[in-house]
Amino acid sequence: MSDLDRWIEQLKNCEPLKESEVKVLCEKAMEILVEESNVQRVDAPVTICGDIHGQFYDLKELFKVGGDCPQTNYLFMGDFVDRGFYSVETFLLLLALKVRYPDRITLIRGNHESRQITQVYGFYDECLRKYGSVNVWRYCTDIFDYLSLSALIDNRIFCVHGGLSPTITTVDQIRTIDRKQEVPHDGAMCDLLWSDPEIRTIDRKQEVPHDGAMCDLLWSDPEDIEGWGLSPRGAGYLFGGDICANFNSTNKLELICRAHQLVMEGFKWMFSEQLVTVWSAPNYCYRCGNVAAILELDENLSKNFKVFEAAPQETRGVPAKKAAPDYFL
Amino acid sequence: MEDNGDDSLYPIAILIDELKNEDVALRLNSVKRLATIALALGEERTRKELLPFLNESNDDEDEVLLAMAEELGKFVPYVGGPQHAAALLVPLESLSVVEETVVRDKAVESLSKVGAELPEQTVAEAFIPLVKRLATGEWFTARVSSCGLFATAYPRATAPLRAELRSLFGQLCHDETPMVRRAAAQNLGKFAETVEPEHISRELIPLFQDLTTDEQDSVRLLAVEACGPLARLLTKEDSVASVLPVVQKFAQDKSWRVRYNVAQQLYQLCEALGPELSRTELVPAFVKLLRDTEAEVRVAAAAKVSAFCKLLNNEAVISAVLPCVKDLAADSSQYVRSALASVVMELAPVLGKAATIDHLLPVFLSLLKDEFPDVRLNIISKLDQVNQVIGIDLLAQSLLPAIEELADDKHWRVRLAIIEYIPLLANQLGAEFFEEKLGPQCMKWLEDQVYSIREAATHNLQKLAKEFGQDWAKDHLVPQVLGMIHNPHYLYRMTILVAIAALAPVVSQDVLCNLMLPEVVKCARDKVPNIKFNVAKMLERLIPLVDSSVVEQTIQPCLLELNEDPDMDVKFFAKQALARCGEGVTVQ
Repeated sequence: MSDLDRWIEQLKNCEPLKESEVKVLCEKAMEILVEESNVQRVDAPVTICGDIHGQFYDLKELFKVGGDCPQTNYLFMGDFVDRGFYSVETFLLLLALKVRYPDRITLIRGNHESRQITQVYGFYDECLRKYGSVNVWRYCTDIFDYLSLSALIDNRIFCVHGGLSPTITTVDQIRTIDRKQEVPHDGAMCDLLWSDPEIRTIDRKQEVPHDGAMCDLLWSDPEDIEGWGLSPRGAGYLFGGDICANFNSTNKLELICRAHQLVMEGFKWMFSEQLVTVWSAPNYCYRCGNVAAILELDENLSKNFKVFEAAPQETRGVPAKKAAPDYFL
Repeated sequence: MEDNGDDSLYPIAILIDELKNEDVALRLNSVKRLATIALALGEERTRKELLPFLNESNDDEDEVLLAMAEELGKFVPYVGGPQHAAALLVPLESLSVVEETVVRDKAVESLSKVGAELPEQTVAEAFIPLVKRLATGEWFTARVSSCGLFATAYPRATAPLRAELRSLFGQLCHDETPMVRRAAAQNLGKFAETVEPEHISRELIPLFQDLTTDEQDSVRLLAVEACGPLARLLTKEDSVASVLPVVQKFAQDKSWRVRYNVAQQLYQLCEALGPELSRTELVPAFVKLLRDTEAEVRVAAAAKVSAFCKLLNNEAVISAVLPCVKDLAADSSQYVRSALASVVMELAPVLGKAATIDHLLPVFLSLLKDEFPDVRLNIISKLDQVNQVIGIDLLAQSLLPAIEELADDKHWRVRLAIIEYIPLLANQLGAEFFEEKLGPQCMKWLEDQVYSIREAATHNLQKLAKEFGQDWAKDHLVPQVLGMIHNPHYLYRMTILVAIAALAPVVSQDVLCNLMLPEVVKCARDKVPNIKFNVAKMLERLIPLVDSSVVEQTIQPCLLELNEDPDMDVKFFAKQALARCGEGVTVQ
């Protein structure tokens, strides 16, 4: 059994790797990711997954429902880390699978795969707590810079963490971004990771976008508006149904698939089924009460959503719920 | 500590230094390794230097004190054995009066350990005076701690001292501070086990009765726990006279927390009183608890239904307990229903066939349809106990429709529980009846939406083939499975490949080589790489099952072709399988 296979087995038991092993794993991952395009080409069949956010046992539940990698092909649309208890194990497992089976799993970048954001939302602290130093955080965040920004399945389905950017009209424009850097505060790359779709109608003239293509891909959310709107997130834009329809027809796409927003039913169609949000963290932050979903595409691009719930308590490791002390009875 | 020039002692010197370090973490680390330090210092210096130092360090953080209390409990060998162990009583005594409860509890635990090892004389000279000192301490913490030491002190005390200890314990039971009375109530059972029978009934029972009428429910609550031990120690007549009325009263206590504890303890008491008395005296109390207004109490009582009923006869169960069971099955709290579901199947052997059919089946059926999945799961996992009682015909008539319904349950873990139960059911139903009732369902699971179910379905097929034999599998499993190999979805084709590999070891060579293998080989031309590398994996599993001629003529050529595939995973698994093909094959 190779080191890599052993690491994968270990990580599947939610046991983190040694710091020196993380370093080796990240070096190998970098060699693979550096070759990938900003718009990574993916062949169907593939199962598309949204945010995981360090909910390791729910990721295992996801594999129980969708099948193990490499038997099932997977595309994860970012936000592997932060908020949950096991960002380290979650990201390293996905990364180890990527290194072992590069053609069977695709990882693209989410807005949480960033040095700034992980220092606020938990991944940094978790690394410090589990390793006593920030080296592992540094190795991982260096890898984040190499993650692809989007994926294109059979030239028909465009997958991105957040949404669209006002500076981007064709998929080819995304290919020209120099992605190997921290997520910028604005521009196309930021928008792709940060934007959201919006349903409300807004004034077209109110918001004239500026800035480069790099920021937006990662931040934008689709919403039912016409045109572009300011995002309440402070990064990326809101984009309406017309923007989505134009982008799809310009690029001969049938669907935009994205994550980034909690949807209580696990997935949500918008804009006459031109866009879908997929969310894969059940009971988000261990308290939201939502179900999660993955989108299974077969070899003919037939779509099948698999909805699943959080892993039951008894399948989770520590920190287990403490028994109520006597005085609560 | 002076440097004696020995390098091997250097780490010890650091540990000793760190006992005084400002950093709590370092002090804690050192305290946790006190045994190492003591071993290095030797017995005498441990007594003369380390213990006095520890005596002065009892002002530390609770975390450090807790570790110290624990370590000192294991310290008898390091101070020079039992004859010198009295030296440990001093630091432990001061730890047993601190503010923090967990530290005190640990110190008491360690004191008991040390006390048990002391020689007779030291017990009389040091340990019992210590217990007396604590029991009459000014601050309540000392008196609380003393309660836990009587069981250690009493058996080793002389007769006059014993009388004194009993009277001291009596004082503690009537202490003005509820915390102390609570500690006394909690330790009453343990203490009673060391006291002579005549003193139990004369002195301890009145104390017990006083505690059970305490105004604080938290004291009564703990007194309940002494019921079981006391009933065991007393003669049956004494129990009936003094313990039983108390329990009966507790079952109606105005505090639900007390009633909850009674529900937990009642079964123990039944054991002590025996079936006859349980039937006449305790059933009414139990029935009251099953019908309690608080769901928590009903949960505790429902979970004991079967254990309790095993002590009773058939009639008592049917007339008194079963009506409650029926009501609990429709309880408004899902936790009550869940607790009932986890034990109710065990009533079947108690009731016997007729009564199970008349009274329990409707309960099972309603719980099997419960809206809460845990309830359904709890029932399913105990179905076999019913089979043994009512026989397979009736099970088929009444429970099978429910099982068929659950086979499509929307929770995949419920479906999984049903699949795991299928081989057992197959064994009981026999081939023909099974095929008719559940055969199609077993195939349907191979196309379940959830991967874990499809995987379990393949294991299930293997078990069925083992149960009913090769010929049956050939007619009733193989054609159906092979018929599904052309599913348009790659994940479902993959399941069929796995199912074939699962059936391969349990079918005849003829079926394997002439029906299954050709289908597997065809899949090597699939357009999806995942199918192709699974073909390689499955062929690897088939190699040891077939003749070497089949390997050479069929399996190897197929793998060689896969080894030329552009996909690196297909190549990898083909190469791995080829390595197993045997000698005479060169793999590039």
